[in-house]
Amino acid sequence: MSRKMKLVAALLAVMMLVGVLAGCKANTPANTVSGQQITGSTTELSGDWGNAWWTNNAADNDVRSLMNGYGTVVVNQTGEYFFDPTVVAEHSDSTDADGNKTFTMKINKGLKYNDGKEITAKDYVAYMLLAYSPIIKDMGGKVTPSQVYGAAAYQAGEATELAGVRLLGDLEFSVTINADFLPYFYDITYAGVSPLPMQMWLPEGVDVKDDGNGAYFTGLDADKAKETVEKARYLSEKRVCSGPYQLESFDQSSLQAVLTVNPNYAGNFEGQKASIAKVIYVKVITETEFDQLSTGQVDVLQTLSDGEEIDKALDLEAKGGFKTANYLRAGYGKLMFQCDFGPTQFIGVRHAIAYLLDRNDFATTFTGGYGSVVHGPYGLAMWMYEKGEEELNAKLNTYTYSLDSAIKELEEAGFTLNEKGEPYAGEGPRYKKVTAEEAGDYAHNVTLDDGTILMPCIIEWSSSENNPVSELLAVKLANTEATKSAGVVINQHVMTFTELLNYMYRDSSQGDQYAVPTYGMYNLATNFSPVYDMSYSWTSDPELVAQGYNTNFLFDDKLDKLSMDMVYGVESGDNDTYLKLWLEYIERWNELLPEVPLYSNDYHDVYADKFDHYDVSSYWSSIDQLPYMTAKAEK
Amino acid sequence: MAKYILKRLAYMLVVFTIIAALMFFLYNLIPGDPARAEVEALKSTLKPEQYEQMYQEARARLGLDQPMVVRFFKWYFGIWTGHFGFSNYYKANVIDIVKEPMMNTLFINIFSTFLALGCTIPLGIYCAVHQQSKFDQGVQVGTIVGYSIPGYIIALIFIYIFSVTLRWFPVSGSKAPGSSLTGFPALMERLYYICLPLIVMTFSALGGMTRYVRAAMIDALSMDYIRTARAKGLREKVVIYSHAWRNALLPVITLIIGWFLGIFSGSIIIENTFNLNGMGQLYYKGLTNQDYELVLAMQMFYTAVSLVGALLIDLSYGLVDPRVRVNK
Repeated sequence: MSRKMKLVAALLAVMMLVGVLAGCKANTPANTVSGQQITGSTTELSGDWGNAWWTNNAADNDVRSLMNGYGTVVVNQTGEYFFDPTVVAEHSDSTDADGNKTFTMKINKGLKYNDGKEITAKDYVAYMLLAYSPIIKDMGGKVTPSQVYGAAAYQAGEATELAGVRLLGDLEFSVTINADFLPYFYDITYAGVSPLPMQMWLPEGVDVKDDGNGAYFTGLDADKAKETVEKARYLSEKRVCSGPYQLESFDQSSLQAVLTVNPNYAGNFEGQKASIAKVIYVKVITETEFDQLSTGQVDVLQTLSDGEEIDKALDLEAKGGFKTANYLRAGYGKLMFQCDFGPTQFIGVRHAIAYLLDRNDFATTFTGGYGSVVHGPYGLAMWMYEKGEEELNAKLNTYTYSLDSAIKELEEAGFTLNEKGEPYAGEGPRYKKVTAEEAGDYAHNVTLDDGTILMPCIIEWSSSENNPVSELLAVKLANTEATKSAGVVINQHVMTFTELLNYMYRDSSQGDQYAVPTYGMYNLATNFSPVYDMSYSWTSDPELVAQGYNTNFLFDDKLDKLSMDMVYGVESGDNDTYLKLWLEYIERWNELLPEVPLYSNDYHDVYADKFDHYDVSSYWSSIDQLPYMTAKAEK
Repeated sequence: MAKYILKRLAYMLVVFTIIAALMFFLYNLIPGDPARAEVEALKSTLKPEQYEQMYQEARARLGLDQPMVVRFFKWYFGIWTGHFGFSNYYKANVIDIVKEPMMNTLFINIFSTFLALGCTIPLGIYCAVHQQSKFDQGVQVGTIVGYSIPGYIIALIFIYIFSVTLRWFPVSGSKAPGSSLTGFPALMERLYYICLPLIVMTFSALGGMTRYVRAAMIDALSMDYIRTARAKGLREKVVIYSHAWRNALLPVITLIIGWFLGIFSGSIIIENTFNLNGMGQLYYKGLTNQDYELVLAMQMFYTAVSLVGALLIDLSYGLVDPRVRVNK
């Protein structure tokens, strides 16, 4: 081998070694804390960090979720709830003779707040004692005593001990759930408690004790406590935190929050700790957010839904320096029917409207191609959908656009006449001969000389102002030739969203006019949380209906029973039974069609490509993912 | 003079009360149920009876279970005792919410007002003195353009030119993300961040004020006493600034005082476009969030400022023009 070749070989060997070392470095999980991320949100921070007891805006929640950790029950990337093994060392549950269920939890030793103070069971018990206390209620907090045994009496000031919460040791405590709320498929969520840093939230000298009848505070002066609570609610400097990040500062003037890594954080349910040293949370405005992104004023924009915005994000990605991540929305925009009066009380009319709207075209147009259509009340990212997709595909009616199908549905529903009671000849709206009960006080009804009541297929539609969905619906449904030739008339009424809600709820407290069933159709949107609980949504109980449950006014025993059984008739963990009932529920819903799902967005996030491991879903935002993200060194 | 001021104060009180009543009833007649909005999100987590209880409690807490007249008097007398209301959106006292945006708005508007007046008054005077010159014609065209283009569009164009293309100024905000500067460096940083909004505000204001000053000066310069002053052999500077400008000031003073009173009110467009946490943005958010106690408090504050402003303008007329000095 010549010297030259030896030299080349040596160089190649060195290069390979460097390459291998570089590769090793790249594959090594990040254990160094460095870099920063500027997260932009169109919602502004209010600076109220009070555990969502008072306000609950999305931006505050993002910051809270970074600051507050060690909840006993957490949700993972797929929307599944479970006990956090980093927090809970042992847990068990038992049911007493009355049917009350007690969750007993023993937390891991060694968990600490960012100020170094050790977290014990007292912190968890203190959270519930304060949350359910009359103090928070007096201060306007929206904490419901709900499921915890004895919490209602405790909150009302009738008891000083919270019977359903027990302090069982330094690291052990229990929560008892009232039998009225059981069995409940999501009952694990009832066991979800976070630690309350008493040193920040309560006056000095307050302690938690338990003499066997329930936990209680000692040394608590309500007036002093209110002052401390108010201070803790807005405290930004030296705030006691238990999450992956700690609040370094909050600037009320520029509405920026700066968070740094919490050195005492033990990790999330997978033991994951944050490696991005600093997170800055800032407000952006839609008009200039991409300018801010391209000039480096923000690193991340979340939940883009507008087609033009998504195109801009993809353009930025194509130019380089940025990446995008997309995920399906757990929810949809919809047309909602009220089903107890007028033409929309007839299932055939609801079906006909679904057939008259080309929903694929609508979704594509509205979302700019970044959306899809669902055929029932579900999101494509739900585990139930993923498991039951095949069955749903086989059983659900997709209501594919078809004028013929719409006409057939209307004819089968009895809309075969004209305004004189003669067979419908294709001009104007169709009429149906109805009973006095069906007719109700619907304004468009016609009474013939012989007393026959005819109801026209005229649908009054309440749509909110400045709403692009409403505008597109007018073009794609209400004013189309197909709708006209089917003999359907849809009258659009534009109003404020508040007024729309008043009509939808038939809220007479806001004015007598709202109590009168007026609009048969509304356009709204809905989102699904990981707790899919539709109980009471289809109740027939007049009192509950008057309270605003069942705003569709669809009284179907089967749908009501399925929605209740699905959550209140299934033990937690029995996923198979839940799934079976869920599929039946979706199928029944799809058949009755109280709503027409219009579009489900394909959300996009855009972020600077210096960040790796950006993996999000509709249940797992970039904020949840932050501890997993790493930041490359700045060039 | 004192009697006149007292009379005006009494008149202001009546006007203030009438406006307060009108505003209060107007906002409370807008369809909407704040109590329902407050508890609606909890519906799925509550049993129906608990939901109803919470709803009724929210109604009671917000005072919605009382007749509107009672609510009005409670609110109205509250204003006079320093209780400006409770923000239903922020769940905090209005006075605590308004403080920071008010300081930001004052900070921006003080600079903006001085900058705009500093540019427009000399420019208007110069154009009037050099009427029909090429410079004057150029300024006329420029001011018409500035006057005609909405501030929102000007802002977006300037952001594109100065922030995105030239990168001279930040796109929006009032300080660098994560900045921990204090004292003088923090002030300099803040000034740097509000530079572009100030430029846009000044540019937008140039049209109206420059033309107004120019017109007033042209009127004044055409008066006989100016001819007399020049005939006396006075220097041109003295003629312009001591004789013409002082007389031209009378119609301009109303506008100038109005501008100074306007430092309390934020610009919805500028603050929204540049993401500045000021009074304009707060007002807009109050309206969109249906946070009517917040909006009402702000409107009553502006009502008070306007009433005081009207009095000051009337009194200031007397100061600049002895002919209309109020002595009764």
